[in-house]
Amino acid sequence: MKNNPYRLLGIGLTIAGAIFAPVAYFIINSIPLTAIALSSIMVGFTSIALASSRPQISPEASQLILETGMENIAALLEELGLNHKAIYLPSSMRDGNAQALIPLSGEIDVRRIKGKIPRRLIVRYGDNPGDMAIAVTAPGGTGLDKMEIKSGPTSSEIEQAVTYVLTGLLDLANSVEVRMSEKQLDIEVTGPKLHFENVWYYRCMGSPIASIVASIASEGIGKPLRIQEESYQKGKNLIRLEVLG
Amino acid sequence: MRIYNRYIVILLLASCLIDVLLAYAKQTDIAVYFTVSVIAYLIITVLFIYLSPRTRRTLSMVSIVFLAGFMVVVVLKVMEVLHLR
Repeated sequence: MKNNPYRLLGIGLTIAGAIFAPVAYFIINSIPLTAIALSSIMVGFTSIALASSRPQISPEASQLILETGMENIAALLEELGLNHKAIYLPSSMRDGNAQALIPLSGEIDVRRIKGKIPRRLIVRYGDNPGDMAIAVTAPGGTGLDKMEIKSGPTSSEIEQAVTYVLTGLLDLANSVEVRMSEKQLDIEVTGPKLHFENVWYYRCMGSPIASIVASIASEGIGKPLRIQEESYQKGKNLIRLEVLG
Repeated sequence: MRIYNRYIVILLLASCLIDVLLAYAKQTDIAVYFTVSVIAYLIITVLFIYLSPRTRRTLSMVSIVFLAGFMVVVVLKVMEVLHLR
């Protein structure tokens, strides 16, 4: 198995502690120094444990898969000339996972959405002939039901779920803060590893981080959401979501 | 800073702080250093609830080992006290 920094640090601390502990205890005869050696062994073991729990798929492979998926959706959007902002639907409004809906023409009036939207690429969401859209699974749309920390309707529940996914599971950001008003959610993602780019896909679907946040928040609130605004400043990704319906 | 790095740094800082404070208090029992460090380790590990489930499972196994050591120290201390009585 390839060595990673955590394993090297762990082995270093454990060996140094194991050598230094008897020296400090029997030769130097110092209890505090022996305690430092013991602490070094403890942190060393923990570091080795962290190394062995790293994901089996490398970050490079994950990024490749993410970019491939995004390229395919971007090609579809550009070919069809779709430039309206996507609407993120909770799984309760879809026949399956939480998904993003991109209208084929005009804006989507969520009040016209009747029943569950079928599990197809091109879907009809209302009664009018023009109520057509394409439904795609956005990053973060899958596996929401398997999460240990579930999203809920309050800002703290959304913050916990988003932090769990972005910081703990995916390691895409350092921390997340969510502020919620009646029809709006302001999310501050500190230290994002993926940034917003002014390209067709991002203008339509939002950045991957915004997509993940929107999918989780939509699932928690149980209502459709739209990424109203996204900006990056001073190491923070500021995302504004509009609650629809 | 990545969550794993933050976790390791906090563990290291807490361990150093505990050792320095106990040394300053002229503590000469190695068991006290060990038990306080284990308690700090368990608290910090519990506070990092956002670590991935796989990582937390692995850390739980390490925690069990440290907890076993902690229990051995406690049992030895109790036996020592009972013997003295």
